[in-house]
Amino acid sequence: MNRKAWYIASAFCLLLLLVQAGRKESRGYSAHAAPDPYVLQLPPGFPPPVYNFSQNPLTKQGVALGRFMFYDYRLSRDSTVSCGFCHQQFAAFGHFDHALSHGVGGQQGIRSVPVIFNMIWQKEFMWDGGVNNLEMQPLTPLTDHAEMAVDLRELLKKTQRDARYRKMFKEAFGSEEVTSERMFKAITQFVATMISAGSKYDSVMRKIPGVYFSAEESAGYTIFQQKCASCHKEPLFTDLSYRGNGLPYFAPLNDAGRMRITSDSTDYLKFKVPTLRNILKSAPYMHDGRFFDIFQVFAFYDHGVEPLPGTDPQVKKGIPLSATEQRQLYHFLNTLTDYSLIKNEELSEVIIE
Amino acid sequence: MCCLLMCCSSLLPATAGDPPHTALRLSVRHLVDGKPLVRRDSVYTNASGETFTITRFRYYLSNFSLLTTDGKELRLPPNYFLVDDSIPSSKEIVLNNIPAGNYSGIRFLIGVDSIRNASGVQAGVLAPENGLFWTWNSGYIMAQLEGVSPAVKAPSHQFLFHIGGYRKPYSVLQPLTLSFPKPLVVAAGKESQIKVVADAGKWFHAAGNVSFQDVAVIMAPGPNALKIAANYFHMFEVEEIVR
Repeated sequence: MNRKAWYIASAFCLLLLLVQAGRKESRGYSAHAAPDPYVLQLPPGFPPPVYNFSQNPLTKQGVALGRFMFYDYRLSRDSTVSCGFCHQQFAAFGHFDHALSHGVGGQQGIRSVPVIFNMIWQKEFMWDGGVNNLEMQPLTPLTDHAEMAVDLRELLKKTQRDARYRKMFKEAFGSEEVTSERMFKAITQFVATMISAGSKYDSVMRKIPGVYFSAEESAGYTIFQQKCASCHKEPLFTDLSYRGNGLPYFAPLNDAGRMRITSDSTDYLKFKVPTLRNILKSAPYMHDGRFFDIFQVFAFYDHGVEPLPGTDPQVKKGIPLSATEQRQLYHFLNTLTDYSLIKNEELSEVIIE
Repeated sequence: MCCLLMCCSSLLPATAGDPPHTALRLSVRHLVDGKPLVRRDSVYTNASGETFTITRFRYYLSNFSLLTTDGKELRLPPNYFLVDDSIPSSKEIVLNNIPAGNYSGIRFLIGVDSIRNASGVQAGVLAPENGLFWTWNSGYIMAQLEGVSPAVKAPSHQFLFHIGGYRKPYSVLQPLTLSFPKPLVVAAGKESQIKVVADAGKWFHAAGNVSFQDVAVIMAPGPNALKIAANYFHMFEVEEIVR
């Protein structure tokens, strides 16, 4: 081969090497821009999470996107209602002072807003367990005509047009494309970080030095263990089952409960056992929010149960609670308030202009 | 020189190793009791003597496998199709990477398997914005038939059959087998084609009569959905092996 050909070949080779090097550099840069893993601190003593993170690993950017969407009122049909509108942090992500949920255009639902935390341990969602996967849960409030009432296709288009969202989707998922899969997974990521396991009760259970139950709290804990814990099972304070608690049927709402999902008449008027964590922050109570005060709940279990064939045997005859016991139970339930949840700045509202 | 060759080889387009495209195309035609389905315009009569028109006809197909002439079942890779009468391209189903061989029939599900009903948010034809995932009672609407009949008592006279359910005792999922009229020979590197008809008229009578007087709106898993599913189980037929 003559010398000239060698020069040409070498120069070409050098050029290719430079191109390759440049590519590596840009690859290195994009590796740097890949989302940062978010390490979720799982509380000691809790069971393994039910939610399968393998198809949706948490990232800081994914959680941030989910948080932004959670507080974005533009996700509703008329840009008035966000997820956080009903799920208020100071009310443990329930709806303070609202018996029934309400949404766009003055529409009202038939159930109270459930609290949102420790969701990664739930296998089914809603009061009746109708939603079968945490990732699918956003679909219900987004599209329900009495909640956010949005057309999902319209929402996807609207979100795609928004430069800020395009940037956030790229940061979280590698490209600007807005899909329902990415949207729901990001919301799931944010909701997964809402963990409540930092109450006084938790500190006492973990034997943190200097943290003790008072005499009344301790007596209340004993009453709880004797009279409540079989359904409101520790550490989640719910066994996640569906039960009839003997709450008198309220005809105007005509809510059949779990039976609506299973078409099984033995599930008539059964609802999911709610958690007692943060209970004093998340009034009103029951699936229809009929009780605004925890002492009304105590009074109901003491003498208000109206047994039906499907009522749980454990509450069929009521749960006697003397005035002293009620007071002690109140003090115990107060130890389940978790300020590390309701004041957590990483979960707080993002103000969207 | 060695460097030059390496550099160049890394830039060559990778075409040499691609396997030849071996595929099976199912071309679907929609009928109502043997007559072509024409949405809105054609008036049909069900077995109970009620007239109706059809406004919407959609269904999922999934979990395909081929039956070999020597009696084996060959499962094809997971693939989900949404057939929509209003979208002609959706009636051409292409199953890729079929091994060459002789086949006597095809097996599939009308609907989406139970796993995908409960595995969280899905993409593509399974994405929730297609409007075929129930929001209040999770699970796919496996098949959907909507229309208008004067026999429906409601003011809109609409019938809405949204058929789904993936859990016992109300699961509408049942693998369905279609036998080919003659063995299908799939040759490497070629696309085979079969013509299939789906007859929406079967929804009303194949296994049991359905009258609009009895039921006009089905929007949940349950006995009514099971009854319709038992009917639409019979709606497919292989019309012709084209090639």
